[in-house]
Amino acid sequence: MTWAQDLVRCLKGADVSLIAYVPDISIYQATQLMEDDPYFRVVPATREEEAIGIAAGSYAVGRNAAVFMQSSGFGNCVNAIASLCIPCRIPVPLFINLRGQLDEFNIAQVAMGRATRPVLDVLGLPYYTLEDHVSLERTVTGALKLCYASRQPLALCMTPMLHGGKIA
Amino acid sequence: MHRFEATKLLVSHLQDEPVVANLGPTTDELWHVGHRDRNFYTYGSMGLCSSIALGMALTVPDKVVSLDGDGSLLMNMGTIATIGREKPINLVVVVWDNEQWGQTGHQPSHTAAGTDLEQVAKGCGIAKSATVSTLEDLDQVFQQALAEDGPWFIVAKIEETDYLLVSPVEPEATLYRFRGTYKAPEMPGH
Repeated sequence: MTWAQDLVRCLKGADVSLIAYVPDISIYQATQLMEDDPYFRVVPATREEEAIGIAAGSYAVGRNAAVFMQSSGFGNCVNAIASLCIPCRIPVPLFINLRGQLDEFNIAQVAMGRATRPVLDVLGLPYYTLEDHVSLERTVTGALKLCYASRQPLALCMTPMLHGGKIA
Repeated sequence: MHRFEATKLLVSHLQDEPVVANLGPTTDELWHVGHRDRNFYTYGSMGLCSSIALGMALTVPDKVVSLDGDGSLLMNMGTIATIGREKPINLVVVVWDNEQWGQTGHQPSHTAAGTDLEQVAKGCGIAKSATVSTLEDLDQVFQQALAEDGPWFIVAKIEETDYLLVSPVEPEATLYRFRGTYKAPEMPGH
């Protein structure tokens, strides 16, 4: 099993079946598996805050939904999380590929990549960083349970140590 | 046409269909028309009204009605493209178009300067669309939208009026009541 296959299995285990996302080359490994799996309804969005809205609507009618994005896109959706998900108590698991980490080649990705977890901190939202395949299943399964129990968004930050990163 | 009268007209045709309301006067006026548990009021996240409705329409078979606004939709025009791409047959987007950012001092919006949101929708592949400026025309096209497969995109030109009292700001209760009509609330840990 690859890390992406394990991640998909964890989502199924938590009944997460709608995925809204803006593409990213590293998490493509996971989103492509879901595109090919009829269990999931995968919705490509034009922008990350739109993806948050789609996921919120899905949860409001009883279907768990997750959002996949890159850390740059997390910057695009902070207000959607702060003024929709948090006050309404809509639990949306956020799978964020952290740029600006080991091997980063693009200076434009560094500041938002480094700011992502501090911004989550000041929003009061928990996050877990996925550094390897070994602990992925335990971490993702536990995080999804916490997300739905606490009825708040929560982030799973993915790093090059997990998925290999993007080679310039 | 005034938004409150138009909102009353639309709601008069509804049974249990979910309605998502844009923040501000659209949410307030939907509440003043009469609370329904299937009203999803929003209080922030400007621009996301129709995205929220899209997420609902992709999951449940009911007709889902989005009451959006020109200023808000201009902030998230990409969602028109996503609606055109996904083509949910059960989604009805109504845009209250007053050609201004009403609440912030009546500054003219881009629709006052020629941006045609119905043409944007057509350009995104949404074939069922209309622009109306009278209650009679809105009545006719909305009933058609409830009866026929969509997605539908209806621009309703409105004149801004005085605002009604702000409705109760209760986002958590809104989600809880709305979601409870679809799925019994779950006890954490079970």
